[in-house]
Amino acid sequence: MNNDNVQVPASFDSLSSIRTYVMQAASAAGLEHKRAYRLQLAVDEIATNVVTHGGGSEQPDAYIRVSHEITDECLTIVLEDNSHPFDPTQQTLASDINAPLEERPIGGLGVYLALKNVDTFTYKYANQHNRNILVMYRQTPPPETQ
Amino acid sequence: MEIRSQSVDGIVVVTLVGELDSRTAPIAQAQLIPLCQPDSKILLDVSRVEYMSSAGLRLMLLLYRQTSNVQGQIVLTGLSEDMKDWAITGFLTFFRTYDTRDEGLQALQLE
Repeated sequence: MNNDNVQVPASFDSLSSIRTYVMQAASAAGLEHKRAYRLQLAVDEIATNVVTHGGGSEQPDAYIRVSHEITDECLTIVLEDNSHPFDPTQQTLASDINAPLEERPIGGLGVYLALKNVDTFTYKYANQHNRNILVMYRQTPPPETQ
Repeated sequence: MEIRSQSVDGIVVVTLVGELDSRTAPIAQAQLIPLCQPDSKILLDVSRVEYMSSAGLRLMLLLYRQTSNVQGQIVLTGLSEDMKDWAITGFLTFFRTYDTRDEGLQALQLE
């Protein structure tokens, strides 16, 4: 089942409406609260990344389009944007997580949180667009992975 | 994002209300950094923060560093279950956290 989507400027001002969209989709898919919150966080972090690293902030026509799909098994959220190619999975991730707090670099944390909080994450670049695809199983534990 | 601060027995009690994300964290930061004065005691109450992303967490860490650098102290109270769920994963373990504001105040008064 394909549903409505929302297209917003790639700016921090749009984060709140992206989160609202995700929470509505999560509610429609019947995700339990904790998992809905995690998905919301993950999408927010990825969208933030698009604005910060994808050049969204310097590109006046940069946008993020959010859509979702609900199947029997899962809820898929797709973030599509026209900023520079940027693969979040290539960012340095958790290597610094055990370093002392004062020394820990804080970049990369958002992406680490995003990837950790969803059941599957996929990045693709095609037709001048980044596609970040986040999937949550509707039932816990996920039928195939646990 | 709304920020209220008041002084209670020499402790700066800061209440954050709203959502802490990449848009609102810099606004909060500009208001909170000046509070990190030498020897200050700060209680940061986040019980009315409905949502916090890594931008909010970065702000917490920054405030911790700022206060530590000037021999101040900072405690965090009222973290929601949602936030504990992810924020504790190695990031807030340094912080002294308390469930309620009263517990946080007591801890700071004992210093």
